[in-house]
Amino acid sequence: MKRLRKWMRLQPRRIGEPAMPELDVNIQVSSDLNQNEQALHTIFEHCSDIVFRKVRHASGAVETMEWLVIFLSSLVNEEVIDDHILKSMISLQAEKKLPLEEFAETFLSAGTIEVTTNMKDIVRQLLNGYAIVLAQAEPAAMMVKANGTKQRSLEEPSSEPVIRGPRDGFVENVMTNMGLLRNRMKTPRLKMESVTLGELTQTQVVIAYIAGVADASLIDEIKKRVNRIQIDGILDSGYVEEFIEDLPYSPFPQIHSTERPDVVAAELLEGRVSILVDNTPFVLIAPMTLWAGLQASEDYYVRWPIATFVRWIRFLFIFIAIFAPPLYVAITTFHQEMIPTNLVLSIASAREAVPFPALIEALLMEIIFEALREAGIRLPKQIGQAVSIVGALVIGQAAVQAGIISAPVVIIVSITGIAAFTIPRYSFANGIRLLRFPMLFLAGTLGLYGIVLGFIAILLHVSSLRSFGVPYFTPVSLSSLKDIVIRSPIWARTLRPPSE
Amino acid sequence: MKHLMKQLLCLGLLANLLLLSGCWDRTEINDLAFITGSAFDLSKSGKYILSIQIAIPQGGTGSGDTGQQEKFFVLSAEGSNASEAFELIQKKSSRRLFTAHRSVIFIGESLGRRGINDVLDVFAHDPRQRLRTYIMVVKGGEGKRILETRYPFEQVSVESIKELEGLDTEVAVTLRDYYISASSQGISPVMGVIEPEVNPQGGEKRNELYRQAGTAIFKDAKLVGILNGNETSGFLWAADRMKQGRINAVLPNGQGIVGIVLNATKRRMVTEVQGDKVKVKLKLQGKGSIVENNTHLDVSRPKNRALVEQVLEKSIEEQVRHLISQLQKKYRADSLGIGQELYREHPKLWKQLQNSWEDKFPEAEVSVAVQLSILGSGMAGPPLQFNDKEIIK
Repeated sequence: MKRLRKWMRLQPRRIGEPAMPELDVNIQVSSDLNQNEQALHTIFEHCSDIVFRKVRHASGAVETMEWLVIFLSSLVNEEVIDDHILKSMISLQAEKKLPLEEFAETFLSAGTIEVTTNMKDIVRQLLNGYAIVLAQAEPAAMMVKANGTKQRSLEEPSSEPVIRGPRDGFVENVMTNMGLLRNRMKTPRLKMESVTLGELTQTQVVIAYIAGVADASLIDEIKKRVNRIQIDGILDSGYVEEFIEDLPYSPFPQIHSTERPDVVAAELLEGRVSILVDNTPFVLIAPMTLWAGLQASEDYYVRWPIATFVRWIRFLFIFIAIFAPPLYVAITTFHQEMIPTNLVLSIASAREAVPFPALIEALLMEIIFEALREAGIRLPKQIGQAVSIVGALVIGQAAVQAGIISAPVVIIVSITGIAAFTIPRYSFANGIRLLRFPMLFLAGTLGLYGIVLGFIAILLHVSSLRSFGVPYFTPVSLSSLKDIVIRSPIWARTLRPPSE
Repeated sequence: MKHLMKQLLCLGLLANLLLLSGCWDRTEINDLAFITGSAFDLSKSGKYILSIQIAIPQGGTGSGDTGQQEKFFVLSAEGSNASEAFELIQKKSSRRLFTAHRSVIFIGESLGRRGINDVLDVFAHDPRQRLRTYIMVVKGGEGKRILETRYPFEQVSVESIKELEGLDTEVAVTLRDYYISASSQGISPVMGVIEPEVNPQGGEKRNELYRQAGTAIFKDAKLVGILNGNETSGFLWAADRMKQGRINAVLPNGQGIVGIVLNATKRRMVTEVQGDKVKVKLKLQGKGSIVENNTHLDVSRPKNRALVEQVLEKSIEEQVRHLISQLQKKYRADSLGIGQELYREHPKLWKQLQNSWEDKFPEAEVSVAVQLSILGSGMAGPPLQFNDKEIIK
């Protein structure tokens, strides 16, 4: 009981305080090999994946040379260690005893080698998948990059599929992701600054931008906010997003996240800054504007008249996604005179047997729809079909036939559902879906007046919202409507984005 | 934290405000009785009978056997004015009567002849009424009978009358039109007319239909007469209300009948006062194309077309002249708005005339000039069934 209570009671933590007492590893490498080994043994106690490999070289005339190779077998590619470290040690043909640094320079055929005298660096790089080479009677260590964890191959991002356009997506490894960006932009002006966040996870976070295109003050602001983050662990870029966004209480995302390298590249070219986080394929882009939520990467890959048409469809459906159910509820319960006679009679026929008020009916269906959507995401793929059958048949047909829900509401809710899916940015669509419920309440209590109030409130909120100092409604000015109302031809867009 | 709590509390209180005060006029659609049409008739005791037709929503979608179900029903009540009768009907209806979807109001002929001022006012004062509602006179019958008639096309029978009026083939007058012309100077209001039509073969009510039957001429809110179909088509043109029309004319020398469809008509009225006499020139212009040619003429020839034009113009002129003499002599009602035109063109003279206009109007000298241009001769010049020799070129 006591233990349970202790387990449940979380220790409050003040910002700025370290997560837990740090291990005392800030010691110098000793010249005694055994002492070093002992120290590392203590630090990595109970870590079954640590390997200590002693190599002794005694070839004829020379003094015996003794090395200790240490690595975490879960992180390294053992082939690298075998071929590039151990082999060169064992088959060494040396006239005299070599100092460690000279040995490494001459005989180790690995790519990245660092030297240190501090145990702290050793521990850090061990955890990054380096192999550590220590030599007898030398107070220094060589750190050889040998990491080789398994990673997923590049796949088409499942959350942002395109018909035309590049099909590679980010993966969980930040190095690969950086490579995907470098591949697209072969310029040294593409800067990628790395910081390590998360006291326990030590996650690598990379801030990427194009020097000279991105606004310097924006870069500074982002770095400042990122460096302020204090947390034990970062498991996804969502952690970083919540820490650095401007207004945490807004339903609208203020930082854009994507799995597509081409989107990141395009945004970088427009002067934005992106944040790559290790171990997640989702890359953040800041600042974000409302229009970014309505633009799909494919808009730029198909010919412009088609892209423009598709955009208009999206503009239309974003309104449907917010306002269709509220409008239905408001008009059928407050403004029956607005509906054409034949339509009002057919709606009345459909509602004849329905016991609920229109507001409750619409809310019920919306909530069921949201549940179906959520279930569709969480379910194992094998039973996904069962849910869609149950959802479509039970909700769509049986509920209407049983007279519990009227057919017009089913139609409205399904149109709304489809409308929300036309929004290309998932996080933006989420915000829109959330807004539907307060709007529904306003419509059900105040009618069209309530819808107008709600619309004004949304408009006020969006126009006062800022993402890293950039107004959310940004480029609504006549000159920049070229990429909003229409998607003008690529050749007609001759101006660089302003980088103040 | 405290700040946030305060904000949440405020939000909660605001939400209560919505729930406590918001829904006062919320009505579910299935708690409403949709009135599709009303009728005013005169009762034997001299009071008004208000009848309303209420649509019955067809419950239970999906199940097939709804064919036998009634689509509407009619409720009536007698009252000394419109709202009293309306309240009496509300007491019979379990759902709240909803007037915004009413499309037509019928006035029984006998009520019309007695005067309709008492029943009309409620439509102007009550905000639940719609001024776009059509208003019609039921020729030789009661409005209630029209309401009870089943019409095969529409779900609710009165909708069919709305559609008929929308076709613009006859005079279609809404409450708004009626109020405007009744309150204007120098014009008498008119209304559309509907007539029950009994199928002589079937004695059953099911075979009873109705048709548009001319124009009702009102004067001082009283029905003074009803124009027949021929007079009505003249009236439409002379009053510049014609949207489209068909004109037939018999060619001289017994050659046959030619029919045209008008697709653009224009009327111009010029008034003139000479001493004591009012002179009015009506200029009627029309464009149309031939749709029927029962003569032996090849109407694609300009010569023949001119002949046809001449004959048609003559027939229209006669039609309009007849109409004007009816208005002037028989009904003494200025339904064409000659007085209004006079007022517009000679406002000072009108001031002297307006009090005696009732006597001056029948004396006014009206000349009619028709200018018709036939733009197309249809798909064929001469009738196709004749051989070459029979055709007059």
